[in-house]
Amino acid sequence: MSSYLIGLLVGIGAGLLVLAVTKFRTRNRPMSVAEQAEFLSKRRARMLPALAAIFLAQQASYFSTPVTAAPRPVDTVKISAWLVLSIVLLAALATKGFWAHSREVRNLIDDENTRANRNHAMQSGFLFAMGAGVCVYVVTMFTPVTAREAVHVMMSAGIATALIQWGFLERRAHRDA
Amino acid sequence: MSGAHTGMPERLANRLKDRRTELGLTQAELAERVGVTRKTVNTVENNVFTPSATLAIKLARALDMTVEQLFWIEP
Repeated sequence: MSSYLIGLLVGIGAGLLVLAVTKFRTRNRPMSVAEQAEFLSKRRARMLPALAAIFLAQQASYFSTPVTAAPRPVDTVKISAWLVLSIVLLAALATKGFWAHSREVRNLIDDENTRANRNHAMQSGFLFAMGAGVCVYVVTMFTPVTAREAVHVMMSAGIATALIQWGFLERRAHRDA
Repeated sequence: MSGAHTGMPERLANRLKDRRTELGLTQAELAERVGVTRKTVNTVENNVFTPSATLAIKLARALDMTVEQLFWIEP
């Protein structure tokens, strides 16, 4: 089995584990739909900057490996896990998220203010990804940059910016005047 | 001359908090009545978020007022 496939499976496994732990922790809390939405919305506001930090920290394994050196299996696993995390985060940004919860809870969580915050964050993410693209283009005039490096930089800039911005807006929205 | 003509920034002000308190409702209760989260009611009350026409009408109905009584434009 290739190490990329192992990395992919490890990433999916980690995601499922997080989902199972989340479900286990909330199993004994009988809450109404509104209470669930409030609880999850607050947790999301706290989690988004942390997710951005984890996502950016994962880049270290890619950029710490010299381009000329053959990647060690552990690096390959980390890079594959980064890809899985990127796809999951993009899906969470583009959809309502909280896929393991009921439709009522998901619809309530994705109300008007959340959609506005999410759209604003996606807009910032897009601008930062394009800005990173421009920077990479300028850098290529002086030093060669591989396609994978360019993709890493642009995706990191876009996704991390969107997560941080969304987290900031959600925290501000929860704050009482 | 209105703000729209002069290019001055306009702000949608509201008396949501006053009316809600008058009726003895919490943010959570009002949110449940209009089908949004407490966070959305909080942001509208604090003028952080400008609601859509749909939400403005729903809020006005839930608080037994007209939209014009609940919201107005401030230059």
